[in-house]
Amino acid sequence: MANLQIANARKSYDNKQVLHGIDLHIEDGTFLVIVGPSGCGKSTLLRMIAGLEDITDGTISIDDEVVNDLEPSARGCAMVFQNYALYPHMSVEQNIGYPLKIAGVSKPERARKVAEAAALLELGDYLDRRPAQLSGGQRQRVAMGRAIVREPRLFLFDEPLSNLDAKLRVQMRIEIKRLHRRLSATSVFVTHDQVEAMTLADKLVVMNAGKVEQVGTPGEIYRAPASAFVAGFLGAPAMNFLPGKVLQQGNLHILPNTEIAVHSQELHQWTGREITIGIRPESLLLGKPSAEGIPAHVDLIEELGGSRVAYCRTDGPEIAVVMHGDLTVREGDRVSIGLLPEHLHFFEKTNGQRLGGGQASQQAQASRAMHVAFN
Amino acid sequence: MSTAALQPVLARPIRRSVRRIGLSAELLPWLYILPAVLAFGVWIYEPLIRAFMLSFYEWNMLPFSPQKWVGTQNYSNIFALQKLWQALGNTAIYVVGLLPMSVAIPLAVAIFTHDLKGRWRNFYRALIFVPMIIAPVVAAAVWRWLLDPQHGILNLALQGLGIAPIDFLGDPNFAIWTIILITGWKLIGFATLILSAANANINPSLIEAARMDGASSWEIVRDIRLPLLSSTALFLVMMTILLGAQWSFTYINVLTAGGPLGSTTNIYYLLWDFGFSSMSVGWSSAAAVVLFVGFSVIAFGLFRMIERYSFYDN
Ligand SMILES: Nc1ncnc2c1ncn2[C@@H]1O[C@H](COP(=O)(O)OP(=O)(O)O)[C@@H](O)[C@H]1O
Ligand SMILES: [Mg+2]
Repeated sequence: MANLQIANARKSYDNKQVLHGIDLHIEDGTFLVIVGPSGCGKSTLLRMIAGLEDITDGTISIDDEVVNDLEPSARGCAMVFQNYALYPHMSVEQNIGYPLKIAGVSKPERARKVAEAAALLELGDYLDRRPAQLSGGQRQRVAMGRAIVREPRLFLFDEPLSNLDAKLRVQMRIEIKRLHRRLSATSVFVTHDQVEAMTLADKLVVMNAGKVEQVGTPGEIYRAPASAFVAGFLGAPAMNFLPGKVLQQGNLHILPNTEIAVHSQELHQWTGREITIGIRPESLLLGKPSAEGIPAHVDLIEELGGSRVAYCRTDGPEIAVVMHGDLTVREGDRVSIGLLPEHLHFFEKTNGQRLGGGQASQQAQASRAMHVAFN
Repeated sequence: MSTAALQPVLARPIRRSVRRIGLSAELLPWLYILPAVLAFGVWIYEPLIRAFMLSFYEWNMLPFSPQKWVGTQNYSNIFALQKLWQALGNTAIYVVGLLPMSVAIPLAVAIFTHDLKGRWRNFYRALIFVPMIIAPVVAAAVWRWLLDPQHGILNLALQGLGIAPIDFLGDPNFAIWTIILITGWKLIGFATLILSAANANINPSLIEAARMDGASSWEIVRDIRLPLLSSTALFLVMMTILLGAQWSFTYINVLTAGGPLGSTTNIYYLLWDFGFSSMSVGWSSAAAVVLFVGFSVIAFGLFRMIERYSFYDN
């Protein structure tokens, strides 16, 4: 187990910079998840930690030791690859035992440790098989076994679940979580799947285009996204964004033709300016057409089993609303979308940065304060 | 005429006629492979059977001269020939002598040039692949010049070093190794190409996984690359055993004609010699049958081994 410190890490390929100064601190035993869209540089960052990719600039330290120039093997990291990267010519037992063999562990000791890892991962019956004779989930477990058997300081996962079918993915996700609780090893887990990210992370890092957008617990980030990008990336269905304008006395004009009272101190300094208003589909309410709320008509209803999502046409952008309970709304109905001021998120129109605190972010600050107090 | 009317008219009789050929569902697949079967039959199996039959006859290949049944006499005759045993022994020397150049060196080159970049990569490729694209007879002629005992550049160089000139192609102690080296020189590019392709096909994340597991460069070669290249290497071993004698044919034919004193002949050259120089078709066919049976057994064993060492990575 170890802590990991990344300071101003940069990466360029042929003068094209793909990581623009990443700063991260990961405490001992934390399960850190890096989430972001495809191509944002998650794998590159992970591979730089692993030592598979050179660090163009900045430093990466494990346990306060700079590892920039260390070989992968000297860094004490174990990695689980997206395609598992199991040695096709070795049995499950040999695959799991390979790092130990290389480390010169004696045969009986090796067999004992492999058996231990295999038992933990329920692979005991498959030790003699080759990877080609295993199912996707079993291969995934073998890859994990190979990682845990050498008791690394740091676990690195590069989208390890994305080659599995939906059901197995959920199952393996839970197993990984359980495994982490049991081993409490510092882990860095990369994914583009927001559900995976939210459910697994102790600490979540949202990346975009080679930069860190936000770091925090999944709850903090969900409640107070630091930018419109983060807000739109996490949560399904995605957050609605509406253009708006700040009026006198903290009133808000939602374009084109809705006005609500917000009474937000933070908005005062933005009086007269245009902003972006974000609101999650589950924070909206559908009601009978009325003067309150945003007038709309229901274009399409998506049935999700537990809930339904209504996609509504307004005079502005389309708005998605999660419908609760047994609301009897049909496609084509005229409705009014009601919103509560405390559920609104405000972003700068130009760069998407979050404006002021808002209730959600006060909570976040409170929890951060508690974190400090506990330490 | 409307096409709508035409279509059913066309479609129906064809379908019916297929049905009339009958049992069509069972027969149709055979129909599809018929061209291939015919080609194999005419150019491979028919000559094979013909050779097998001719090996029991005495015949001088002249169309109007009679073929005389001699039973297994051709076999006992050729096995009694010292020449045949010399050719068989030489064939083994050819195979063993070629293996380093058809497998071992290409394997090493493929592995160690894998990470080369840019100019060096092109340089080594040119070096390795140029022999491959030179016509064999041309190569043989050039080698004859280079190896000439009096005026060849190699012997001039040796003389410069104070070593007496060597008759590379005329000295029975050197000739077979000279032919082997020329054959191998021609072969090395092809083998390297095949092994490089197989090597490049190894999933790079396997190598990365091994690096993460702490394996050194040599351990990666030993534990990952070599095992995953073993089926391709075995394939090349098989090719060398089965075809080594044939690959050297051009150089034997052009440079030594099997000599001096039969020291460069091999089984393949010998059976050609029986047939087309001595005009004894029976002997040639008998030698061909022996060759075929012997190599079939070897090929069968090698195929089993290749199967065993093929690992499918998915
Ligand atoms: N070997 C490479 N050479 C050049 N560009 C690369 C290389 N690897 C990755 N990139 C670029 O770096 C960016 C980040 O890639 P990556 O880290 O794989 O993204 P992610 O894992 O988040 O999908 C991408 O724009 C990609 O095109
Ligand atoms: Mg990636």
